[in-house]
Amino acid sequence: MSREAPGAAVDAGPASHSTGPGRARPEWVGFAVLMGAAALAILVAIAITPGFLTVDNLRAILRNASIVGIVAVAMTPVTLSGNFVSLGISQSAMLAMVGFVAMVGAGWPQAVAIPVVIAGLIVVGILQGAVVAVGLNPIITTLAAGAIIFGVVSEVTGGGIVRAGAPLDWGSGTVAGIPVQVLVFLVFTAAVSLLMARTVVGRETVLVGANRATARISGISATRVTILAFAIFSVGLALAGILNGAAFGQATAVSFRDLTIDVIAALLVGGTAIQGGRGSPLRSAGGALLIAVISNMMVLNDFSSGGRLAVQGAVVVVVVVLMDYLRRRGAVRS
Amino acid sequence: MTRQLYTRLRPYMMPLAVLAITWIVIAATTPSFRGQASIYAVLEGFPLVGLVALGLAVTIIAGELDLSVGSMAALAAVIAVLASPAGLIGCIAIAVLCGTVLGAIQGGLIAYLRINSLVFTIGTLIMLRGITFLASGHAPIIIENFEITDPLLERYGVFSVSSLVTIAVFAIAGLFLTYTRWGREIFAIGGARNEAIAAGVPRVRPLTVAFAISAGCASLAGALAATRGGSAAPQNYEDLLLSAAAAALLGGISLYGGRGTVINVALGVAVLSVVGAGLAARGSAASLVQLVTGALLLTVITLEFLAGRLTLKDTVLGRALPRGRAAGTPSDAGG
Repeated sequence: MSREAPGAAVDAGPASHSTGPGRARPEWVGFAVLMGAAALAILVAIAITPGFLTVDNLRAILRNASIVGIVAVAMTPVTLSGNFVSLGISQSAMLAMVGFVAMVGAGWPQAVAIPVVIAGLIVVGILQGAVVAVGLNPIITTLAAGAIIFGVVSEVTGGGIVRAGAPLDWGSGTVAGIPVQVLVFLVFTAAVSLLMARTVVGRETVLVGANRATARISGISATRVTILAFAIFSVGLALAGILNGAAFGQATAVSFRDLTIDVIAALLVGGTAIQGGRGSPLRSAGGALLIAVISNMMVLNDFSSGGRLAVQGAVVVVVVVLMDYLRRRGAVRS
Repeated sequence: MTRQLYTRLRPYMMPLAVLAITWIVIAATTPSFRGQASIYAVLEGFPLVGLVALGLAVTIIAGELDLSVGSMAALAAVIAVLASPAGLIGCIAIAVLCGTVLGAIQGGLIAYLRINSLVFTIGTLIMLRGITFLASGHAPIIIENFEITDPLLERYGVFSVSSLVTIAVFAIAGLFLTYTRWGREIFAIGGARNEAIAAGVPRVRPLTVAFAISAGCASLAGALAATRGGSAAPQNYEDLLLSAAAAALLGGISLYGGRGTVINVALGVAVLSVVGAGLAARGSAASLVQLVTGALLLTVITLEFLAGRLTLKDTVLGRALPRGRAAGTPSDAGG
């Protein structure tokens, strides 16, 4: 299936975007096929994996997916608005975690520390968003910002461990058997999804990503949309930092080291288009869950960490290529 | 005549000025950063960051971005150590060959599938890192017969074998990009892709070549570092992308594709190298180097943006990375 498609695209030549075969299909058909295949693969894997369908294991999967999921959901508006992805995710989340732990360690009440961390992250995010909104490359801007944040935090902490005293009791707590991270993940995903799908601001974000010129003519400010998207992103980063800070009670400048790649992988596997305009926070949450399920299955089947990474990368490549193909076929209209 | 010379030299003025200022500031504030030792230290920045920046710059010139260079360098380092029974030149050649082939496949697929290189190389970045862990057995590995690495430890004045090799690769890459048909195609496809294809430039070949060069350079960098140090660790070089991108852009490679030369890359690497060597001479931590690199990078893309805004007005500036948004969007067709 994936063999014939690209050939067809190349044979049709550069004009295929506008005059290709008239197989106009809604995008969700392809997406449904993809999700069906994933579901089938997971069912097969469940059948051959002992110990997968236990309450403890499912809870562990959800807990593992939560932090990556929160940030992937939060970054979706940035990608949707046509600003690609951030390459400084790890560093910003680390800033939130170190900041929160340091404030609690210094005796601040948590009711003060939490809003301060969120507000601080929003400021850092809006600064980056403003630079990107002016027209600078988002990838390079966030890469540079991440390096600066890492450098500053390392200098301030001297590379040492920042402690909150002890892990906070709610950090690894549960509500009605559901871990607190999972609850935050669910609520945050619902909130961002509603914001994107049901509000004017959300629709504007998608339109700016889908077609910046039309959006501008329609009187939508790409600057405002971009800055707002970075603000939402920052809230997710702050939540991830606070949750992990509370759970571990300590942080260093290299906390969250793998988060950047994990979040981008979740977003891409969810099927949000890197060019913007297509995708949803819910899909990113699904991508995070799918990756968590696959990783967990590999752990239970004794895959090494290298093997898990290799498979994760292969999943990203395959999904990205397939989604691109389906999208192109779905989008062909004469 | 003078005007012609000025036009040719203009793209190098800014990075040269930055280099001069950084060098003066570092030399003035760091007593140990003087004379031959300082030149040697700066040149030693080239084999790793310089080679990777050179490869990355070729993909930027082609209007794409290869995010997988760090993982590629780590994989090549592990391959070189594993292949060390083949001798020094043998193991480096094997590592570079493997990397170049992988890069060519990657570039070919990106062009053939017409997929965004950012998302594709993020996937391969993860995948290659996993393969690196598997190949090394999840632990640092060392070269058993370490005598084979002795030639790399020789020093000729301010040069080491690694920096001489690097300078040779820069020269060859420069000649290739400027004077061969395949090289010119890379500029054409990066500068104005649709126009280039309409004019008969093939779509697949330039990107295949660009990504092969990128992976080949990253592999050579990793292999040289591993053979020189006698070991390779699978988790190495995660931060290489930052330094390489910073070096390429500091030197004046345009993020908008189609513009820049190896001299730009060399100047950019020299700036970073001066900063790195200078801070190291003062005993500063690596994190401070990252801080300064990030700040320099942000400054330089801001300056490029402002300069472009003043001179180009509304030509290609609407698009951050040409391939990303140029994929048949109406805004592109209209402009």
